[in-house]
Amino acid sequence: MTVITLNQVHKKFSRIPALMDVTFSINENVITGVAGRNGAGKTTLLKMIAGFQKTTEGEVRVFDENPFGSLLVSANSIYIDDAMSYPDPMKLQELLHEFKRFYANWDEGLALRLMEYFEIPLDTRHRFLSKGKRSTFNAIVGIAARCPLTIFDEPTTGMDTAARNDFYRALLKDYIAFPRTILLSSHYINEMQDVLEDLLVIHQKRIRYHGSTSDLQEAHLIIRGTEAQLRSATSGKVVVSKTKNGLQEEWIIENDFSEAERSMLDRRGVKSTTVTLNDAYLALTEQPRGGIDDVFDA
Amino acid sequence: MHEVDGEKPIYIQIADWLENAIIDGTLQADEKVYSQYQLAELFTINPATAGKGLTILLEAGLVYKKRGLGTFVSLDAQQKLRAKRKEQTLSKLVRDLLHEADLLGVHKNELDMMIDAERKHRKGDPT
Repeated sequence: MTVITLNQVHKKFSRIPALMDVTFSINENVITGVAGRNGAGKTTLLKMIAGFQKTTEGEVRVFDENPFGSLLVSANSIYIDDAMSYPDPMKLQELLHEFKRFYANWDEGLALRLMEYFEIPLDTRHRFLSKGKRSTFNAIVGIAARCPLTIFDEPTTGMDTAARNDFYRALLKDYIAFPRTILLSSHYINEMQDVLEDLLVIHQKRIRYHGSTSDLQEAHLIIRGTEAQLRSATSGKVVVSKTKNGLQEEWIIENDFSEAERSMLDRRGVKSTTVTLNDAYLALTEQPRGGIDDVFDA
Repeated sequence: MHEVDGEKPIYIQIADWLENAIIDGTLQADEKVYSQYQLAELFTINPATAGKGLTILLEAGLVYKKRGLGTFVSLDAQQKLRAKRKEQTLSKLVRDLLHEADLLGVHKNELDMMIDAERKHRKGDPT
């Protein structure tokens, strides 16, 4: 069953485009990572899905409704980001108690156990928490709400490494017990890749990739050798990115090589390996004219 | 927790891990294999990814499904895997070994001696 559908969606902020021609759909109970460089349009996309922002053109459907102004979507979804604010006089314990009135599946017991594990005091107020603890508290709310559509926009901002790992493990464990549709954005593919089924890559305000993480990884190869070697090895192939690593060139190319072609590379002295998901992602989101080196070589 | 190396897609790493467990006898013939949810929890990975890893073994006939009961190791799984490893992994290692030996100018006699010495060393070593 499809939970989210976007059809030719455009979004502009005072005539400046933020997203262009976005079309995709997401099935029920899939965990999708949303990745893109700064300003690519991730937050705008997530906010339109949550019903916080209107589209400029095109259609968004969530649970078969336009999410903007929809009570159904509002009751069945939660949007977690680092700008969340709560009624200031309320202590965290009171907040955790009140959430059950907003979220039908709210598990207060789980929230309290997570608070204890992450050592967040219950009798304090949200604005007194450190940046990392504030993010952790928000993440706990997002997990314990068990909303059929759960959206996390950069949930791990400010968390230390241990807290990040614990967050992803907690999210995955609770998802296995109570499957739901989850959207998760982060700059760091590495930290979230294991829990994802699909990845949505936004680049320069457009969808650059939507599909399984392993398909993206397997669609690319990394080859290493001298420039001349690589040039002759890749004639007729699509080169996605080129970097220099010491005296060697490292090129990421689209993987349409047969077994025979790959052993041919081997014999020519060109080393080819599978790319990490992060390498594949970086290759897709590279600036059109080379990398950072070009700024200095000008 | 098992460390996954970043290069291969995770579902292939899961399949490799299961195959190793069958080869070294941790998982015996007709023994129940971890479910996709158990694997997901064990390695902190998406259950769909774990399921894809299991599918590789299922399609290779290394495991079989019993309705409502789960997935089990096929009778000839260990034998099949040993043959496959010999054909693919071991022969590639031999190729790499010869390549390196040629590069260093190590000839057959010397290489044989090195292999024999290593064998003796391993036999003497209880691990």
